[in-house]
Amino acid sequence: MTLLSVDGIRKTFGGIVAVEDVSFDVDRNEIVGVIGPNGAGKSTTFRLLTGFHTPDAGTVEFDGEDVTDHSPDARARSGMIRTFQIAQELTGMPVMQNMLLAAQGHPGERAVTSALGIGGTSAFEADQRDRAEELLKLLELWELRDEYAGNLSGGQRKLLELGRSLMADPDLLLLDEPMAGVNPDLTDRLLERILELRDQRDMTFLFVEHDIDAVMRVADTVVGMHNGAVLSMGSPEEVQSDDRMLEAYLGGEV
Amino acid sequence: MALLDLFLVVGIIAGVYSLLAIGMNMHWGDTGLLNFAHAAFFAVGAYTSAILTTPTPEAGLLAERTVGFDLPVVVGIVAGTVLAAVLGFVIATTSVRLEGDYLAMVTLSSAELVRLVIHNEAWLTTGAQTLKNIPRPMESTVATLPVSYDVFYFLLVWALVGATYLLFERMSNGPFGRVLHAIRENDDVALALGKDVTQFKLKSFAIGAGVAGLAGTLWAHYVYAISPVMFLPSITFLIWAAVIIGGAGSYAGAIVGAVVIVFLRQVTRFIPGSVPFSDQMSYLRLMLVGVVLVAVLYYRPEGLLGNAERLQAGTSEGE
Amino acid sequence: MVLDPQFIWNGIVVGSIISVSALGLTLIFGILNFINIAYGDYMATGAYLAFALNAQIGLPLGVAIVAGVAGMAAGAVLIDKLVFEHFRTSSPVTLLIVSIGVAFFIRNLIRAIWGPTGNFYDVPIEANPNLFGVRYSVEQLSIIVASLLLLTAVYVLLRRTRIGIAMRAASDDRTLTRIRGVDTERLVLYVWIAGGAIAGLGGIMLGLDAQIRPNMGFTALIPIFAATILGGIGDPKGAVAGGFAIGILQEVSVVVVPSEYKFAVALAALIVGLLLRPDGLFGEATR
Repeated sequence: MTLLSVDGIRKTFGGIVAVEDVSFDVDRNEIVGVIGPNGAGKSTTFRLLTGFHTPDAGTVEFDGEDVTDHSPDARARSGMIRTFQIAQELTGMPVMQNMLLAAQGHPGERAVTSALGIGGTSAFEADQRDRAEELLKLLELWELRDEYAGNLSGGQRKLLELGRSLMADPDLLLLDEPMAGVNPDLTDRLLERILELRDQRDMTFLFVEHDIDAVMRVADTVVGMHNGAVLSMGSPEEVQSDDRMLEAYLGGEV
Repeated sequence: MALLDLFLVVGIIAGVYSLLAIGMNMHWGDTGLLNFAHAAFFAVGAYTSAILTTPTPEAGLLAERTVGFDLPVVVGIVAGTVLAAVLGFVIATTSVRLEGDYLAMVTLSSAELVRLVIHNEAWLTTGAQTLKNIPRPMESTVATLPVSYDVFYFLLVWALVGATYLLFERMSNGPFGRVLHAIRENDDVALALGKDVTQFKLKSFAIGAGVAGLAGTLWAHYVYAISPVMFLPSITFLIWAAVIIGGAGSYAGAIVGAVVIVFLRQVTRFIPGSVPFSDQMSYLRLMLVGVVLVAVLYYRPEGLLGNAERLQAGTSEGE
Repeated sequence: MVLDPQFIWNGIVVGSIISVSALGLTLIFGILNFINIAYGDYMATGAYLAFALNAQIGLPLGVAIVAGVAGMAAGAVLIDKLVFEHFRTSSPVTLLIVSIGVAFFIRNLIRAIWGPTGNFYDVPIEANPNLFGVRYSVEQLSIIVASLLLLTAVYVLLRRTRIGIAMRAASDDRTLTRIRGVDTERLVLYVWIAGGAIAGLGGIMLGLDAQIRPNMGFTALIPIFAATILGGIGDPKGAVAGGFAIGILQEVSVVVVPSEYKFAVALAALIVGLLLRPDGLFGEATR
């Protein structure tokens, strides 16, 4: 069953076409990797999916609803949560606060309920703390819960960002180059977590990644992009053996 | 003037400034919004309450004002607070999406526009002249008590400061404040986590403006008479200085900063007799405010009660 | 309805002052990347320096103006050495707040020295001549001539001299300039000299047109901001165009809005301009 459906999206910047007629579907409980050399249009596609750009043409449907014109925050509330390429944890907030921030539908986020502590604020908050504790322990960040996120190491920040996204309990998690700048050991752990989450929490993943090996290990479907367009799509093996992809990468590297 | 009386007067002013600083801290300290319109919120609170609680002036007097409502003071205070919040919301609607520098310029300009309106719409505000005879709350009741009115007003103002402080502390430390802090740190992350950033900024602006309006009402009802020159942009800048000196992000700091600023401005009142340069004294004191502000930013950027560790962590870039 | 040419003339005079002033503000922003709230007080300082030399010491106005402009250029460098230099790595917002402290200091220093009331330059009072139904004064003519001279000089500086070209490059992209090995501290020095001088001249023009008061520059900041933003912050050409646009718009607007509110026109232009073109008149719309 299709969860995310991208149909013919196009984006130009000052006359330069960044993304042209990109279409693909992501099924529920699937892991989809978008790969391509630098300048292939991966990042623009990502921003179009998450609402940080609006496409010039084409549509994005999520869970049967047309979200093409929805703002990033509206998309997040409907169950699509994104991460950032460079871990954008909130450095001046403690780890625990970063986690709690991601809770969706928090009754205490209204000024009045927050000031007066009414409307189920404290009960909800307590539940979220329990969830956050569980996730932080899983990610081995529990000991650091009161530390400012800015004092974490690069790898810990990546984990925090993943944990924070999971706090939002997304149906679809969109990861922007989650493996960039991450050591191989951590890459393995992140990939393991993704597979676990997919199975245990019935989650769906889309990730844009430069590191092809990582994608090949976990993705069910791979979308290969080049020059702003989809060049190749299919199982990891199919895309990997596609000569056009190889050419694109070689051409891109030179 | 006896020392106690002087202390009460300065204390009342410090209380009013504390409320202004609390509002500003919600904008800048919690949300990272560059609000330079605070003087306008202060003015709207003061004028709203003054107009609502004074009677319609008799025709033929010097004052050209033709509007007055003679309502109870409490109505004026509530209305002044609400109207200032509404103005904050309106100003923010036009500008809150703008980048920081632009927001600063637009809010500063908007505040001057508000003052221009107050200055020119004499039928409503007495214009450039002084709006006089603003009633003091419960004046006749307090007169029967064995304490002076200033004691009563001092307690009233500081009770309101205390209540406001508690409410704002709770907001700031609760889930609402958490979202504001996230916006202060990084708009995009807040958006990506499903927070309606614009809506939160508007709320922050309106709430902080409302408190500034409350401060304005308390000011008007204390000083009897108000005029547009009381609401120059320098008030806004003084409050900025208070928040920075006290420590942005800390409500206790905002109050301490406001007290420091008021003390710096009023300190020479406590020195008896004639001092050299007494004519220049008020200017020298404001020069001192400038020096203290710059010195705090240099030697203690987190302010007196700010959180240095957060500031440090907050400036570290992602890898 | 025929538009009275008098309003246009007044607009050109006011526009000249705003243009010159906005140019200085935008140059400083371009290199130092912060809004200098004390800029209006730099203007007032220039005006008062010239006032002291002209009306108090008795030097001819021309000499006093040149000395006032030079004095403010030196003053801007001095303030940088005393204050801003210690905040080079700070965020633009911190610098903006630092400049609030500087503004408090300067404005009240002026009040302490010259008092809070208004002053005038020692210029001969003559009946204003009339040309084609437009009344003009010698001061107004001088303002326009001075502004044209200054705008030309800055244009030449930015286009033809090495330091000017480096300034423009740095304004576009600071890190790039640093990578190319341009001495940014030298640039900063030059921009304070230029910005201070321009502010001083703007203040003197303002004092010639109206009164010399301690808060004269600060009150003038709003239309200057409007011009700067309309032209795109950091864009010298835009600031000048914005300045004339705001000045003329403001003066001509008295035909339709009460003259007390002509200042509101600048604000309206500012907000509309920002909503329509967040990057200024000549900026590339990237959003």
